[in-house]
Amino acid sequence: MTPTPAEIPPTLLRAVGVGRSYAGRAVLKNVSFELLAGERLALTGPSGSGKTTLLNCLGGVDRPDIGRIELGGVALETLDGDALAAVRRRRLGTIFQFFHLLPTLTAAENVELPLQLNGVPTEERMERVRYLLERVQVSHRADARPSELSGGEMQRVAIARALAHRPELLLADEPTGNLDSRNGDNILRLLQELSDETGTALVLVTHSPDAAAICHRELLLRDGEIVGETVRLRP
Amino acid sequence: MNRDTASGSLPSGVLPMLWRRFSVRHALQSPLQSVLLVVILSLGVGVFFAVRLANRAAVASFQNFTDLITAESDGLIAAPSGTLPETVLTELREALADEAIQIIPVVETTATLPRVSDDEAIGSRSTFQVLGLDLIAVQNLADRRPANRQWLANPGAPSGGEPDASDLRVQARRLWESFRDPHSVFVSPRLAIRRHLVPGQEFPLVLNEAIVPLRVAGIIPTDPGQPEAPAELLVMDLPAAQQWSGWTGRLSRIEFVLEEGPDREGRWRRIRETLERLALRGPGGMAAADGTSLAPRWLVGSPADRRQSGEVMTRAFRLNLTILSMLALVVGVYLVFQALDGAVVRRREEIAILRSLGIPPGLIQRAWLGEAALLGLLGGSVGLMLGWIGAQGAVRLVGKTVNALYYATSAEQASLHPGEALLALALAVLTSLIAGWLPARAAAETPPAQSLGRGHGTTFTGPLWLQRTGWAWILVVLGVALLGVPPWRPEAGFRVPIAAYGTAICWTLAAGVLGGAFLQGLAKVLAWPALRVSHQPVIRLALSVLREPTGRHRLAVAGLVCAVAMTGGMAILVGSFDTTMRGWIERTFQADLFLSSDGAQSASTENRISPETWRGIASHPAVERAQVIQASRLQLPDGETMLVSSDLAFFRDHAKPAWRQAPQDDRVFDPRRNGSMALVSEAFSERFQKVQGDRIRVPTPVGMQDLEIAGVFSDYGNERGSILVDRPQFVRWFGHELASSLILVLRPGSDIEGVRAEFRSRHPGLAVFTQSYLRAEALRIFRQTFAITYALELIGVTVAVAGLAFTLISVLWERRGDLTTLRALGLTRFELAAAAAIEGVVTALSGVLTGIVASLGLGWVLIHRVNQQTFGWTLETDWSWDRLVLLGLMVIGAAALAAWGAGRWGSRLPAEREE
Repeated sequence: MTPTPAEIPPTLLRAVGVGRSYAGRAVLKNVSFELLAGERLALTGPSGSGKTTLLNCLGGVDRPDIGRIELGGVALETLDGDALAAVRRRRLGTIFQFFHLLPTLTAAENVELPLQLNGVPTEERMERVRYLLERVQVSHRADARPSELSGGEMQRVAIARALAHRPELLLADEPTGNLDSRNGDNILRLLQELSDETGTALVLVTHSPDAAAICHRELLLRDGEIVGETVRLRP
Repeated sequence: MNRDTASGSLPSGVLPMLWRRFSVRHALQSPLQSVLLVVILSLGVGVFFAVRLANRAAVASFQNFTDLITAESDGLIAAPSGTLPETVLTELREALADEAIQIIPVVETTATLPRVSDDEAIGSRSTFQVLGLDLIAVQNLADRRPANRQWLANPGAPSGGEPDASDLRVQARRLWESFRDPHSVFVSPRLAIRRHLVPGQEFPLVLNEAIVPLRVAGIIPTDPGQPEAPAELLVMDLPAAQQWSGWTGRLSRIEFVLEEGPDREGRWRRIRETLERLALRGPGGMAAADGTSLAPRWLVGSPADRRQSGEVMTRAFRLNLTILSMLALVVGVYLVFQALDGAVVRRREEIAILRSLGIPPGLIQRAWLGEAALLGLLGGSVGLMLGWIGAQGAVRLVGKTVNALYYATSAEQASLHPGEALLALALAVLTSLIAGWLPARAAAETPPAQSLGRGHGTTFTGPLWLQRTGWAWILVVLGVALLGVPPWRPEAGFRVPIAAYGTAICWTLAAGVLGGAFLQGLAKVLAWPALRVSHQPVIRLALSVLREPTGRHRLAVAGLVCAVAMTGGMAILVGSFDTTMRGWIERTFQADLFLSSDGAQSASTENRISPETWRGIASHPAVERAQVIQASRLQLPDGETMLVSSDLAFFRDHAKPAWRQAPQDDRVFDPRRNGSMALVSEAFSERFQKVQGDRIRVPTPVGMQDLEIAGVFSDYGNERGSILVDRPQFVRWFGHELASSLILVLRPGSDIEGVRAEFRSRHPGLAVFTQSYLRAEALRIFRQTFAITYALELIGVTVAVAGLAFTLISVLWERRGDLTTLRALGLTRFELAAAAAIEGVVTALSGVLTGIVASLGLGWVLIHRVNQQTFGWTLETDWSWDRLVLLGLMVIGAAALAAWGAGRWGSRLPAEREE
């Protein structure tokens, strides 16, 4: 059944004619797409196709040479470094292939950090950290340092950290790329569940068909261009 | 979520949280490195603080001792040269009869304890300041100040407890008898405690040429509100002091204390005018027709002027020492930079994650600067403690130099000074902030985690100016141009070689930049034969890295270049000083025996040899020729200097002066024709800007003398400078023949040691030195003045090598991906460490070679500009190649060890996961 306009979620992210070159080589060429609030989008393609560059541009970490990217109606190219940092702090969550947990902080402290950066009161912060660690099933390792955690545990903590401040958009770069298949499956299931629960949109860069399968839509990139789109489900 | 942050601003607690959870935790995780860094920074601060406290102690010991007895006088008069005749007292009392004022005549001289052993070092005994006061006048003063009464009423008892009236009369009589005894002396409480002296006890002192048995008449009390008398202060009645000092009928100065009353300032101004008017009157009371041709009989000053004179005299010396001590801080900057930069490299991932989580670059930068400031605060605090301890040792070193070159100081303890402590702490924090600036910026520029490991701006390039050698050549030329700029003269008699320091800075910076370029060239040059002779992967690996050195390598080389250049430059200066001094000592000390009062332990000694004594010695059958030296302090409008007299022909023949401007003819050496001629030392010429042919006006007791400068000679004995005139002129002007020293040439075949022993036994109050002993002692005293520089050099080199180790650690961390690959390719840990060691050695070699070239330039500037313009001493250049080679080998050896250690550490790094 086709949803009525009132049921269609609003557009969260819009990329229009995005292009990016490094040393004269075009890495992204005229990329345009939209992402709805709560939608999960997979970016797939061979190595060097421009997936990560596109993800960096979406996260405001890299700036396109041409084209524009709007997040919630705000054009990222108009923002300075501090404003982009504020966007990352408040509206985005990021999950990395290599987890990137802060080595001096415990698992709980890593999850707590985005809440501190957003000025969440201590009591609320503690409650949310406890909830998230339980939700990702690592509450028993709350006081462990990253060096004491397994790969799967580290990625669970990283997911909890990325969702702690209730971002509108989650950017994930090969989140299962450094995990075995069992841990990878668990992480994908967790991402799917949490995205559904919180209504957080997800842009997932992956080589894995299994990972892409949890997304509503899949964009296939090749040589910096979108060469195909697969729609699986609507949010 | 907190709505306050809706605008995007961060909550206030984020910065402290970053320090608490990241900076502090990292410091705790690497305690050894943290402690090492704090210790090295604290060493820099400690050296600076110690030198400042020691300087302050040495200057503070030069004070107006009379103040301690009279409280502060309102003013004083002293002769511009020599002493004042006692007869002026009557004149002053008449002129100031209507003024409510106390007139305190003072004789000030110096004394020491008798020598204990015959071969003791010059300057090893404390010098006492002996004040001869008119104790009746002092008693008058004391009567007006109840707090002081007990001292005069109860000699021997420290203040405290009120005596009753009958006791007072008895004690006053005893006191009066005690005063009149020329052997009575009042000692300071500190001396009494230190030497267990009690009233009535006898102790001997060397005063002039005699060992005088003195008796303790009492202890100098401490007046409330006044500092306690220093240990070295002795007080005796005026006639006694005049007798022992040989200044019978003469006064060192006269002090004035106004009675309590309104408008003290106005009254003193009026009195001052009267005194200045009287000063220009001839002894007969008639004003000279031409006021300018008559020397003022005295100069009117204040106790503050007198207190300041110690500071003024030693200003150049202290400034140089302070600048030298700051070198330790400069190298501290380099090390803190290297350490913080290394930390940025190691923590790049953490910073990138924080950036990804939305922390803006500005906050990251502030967090790192805060970390640097905290480091400075910690290093500074530890440095204050180290500095205070070090100051207790440094005060002796500084004191010995001040003793040898300027005036008697017996400062043995440096007290903590809050202002100096704050300055040192502020410098420590500032130093750290400067050092932390680039790393903080690098941290802020670290891209968010998404970009890590993908080749976007992850390699440290260092400051751009470090890679542009064009700037370096401009700096070299600028340095050359600055060589032509004369020293800055903020006030008469004081000059600061600012332009010369500018040249030194320009050349050091330029050498640092050029060192980086040289490293690249050196690696290429070494690679050519190395790669053909050896196919060792280790050598290939090390040299391939250096063919394209990173910004970090360049900075390491720059640091080494600076340290080697400064250390090498100092070595050349010290070596040149040593060579020059040895030459000067050998030329100057040509005679067989040198005699002076055994109490002459410092440059400001007032001890003299009486004419009867020196005539008796000069007429000894073994003496072929005797040279009498007479000297007097001289106050010129532009500063204090010395007027020295001797037989100028003897000076020419036996001291063999090194002429900076040789006399044009022999007139100045002919007593019949040299009445209005003088020779001046190079220090005088430089300080007062007078050269051969110029005229100088010298105030003497018989009027102003107009002298022509016939020649300028080298003299490394003091930096105040001296005017040398023929002795008959001096005697005619000053009316006495008290000698400062006596130089004897014995008849050929005389038993020098035997004659010396004979003089020593006949005159136990005289020091009699042989030529060889005096030469050795002069050299020892000179070398002792450089002791502090050796410590500073060592610190500089240590820090530079430690900086290189930090650099290599950072470089290896940055290349840990390569290390993983190399291990996978089969290189052993030993081979990886060896590659790092070769990389370190070639880097060090580049730094050392460039640094040595730079040190030649710096050495030249230090010798021919900084030293010459500050002290007025021309030195023979000695390039000290042996020291430079030793320095280079030491640095390269230490660098090889440090690099090997860094390599071993690097070979154990965990594999780079992202690669």
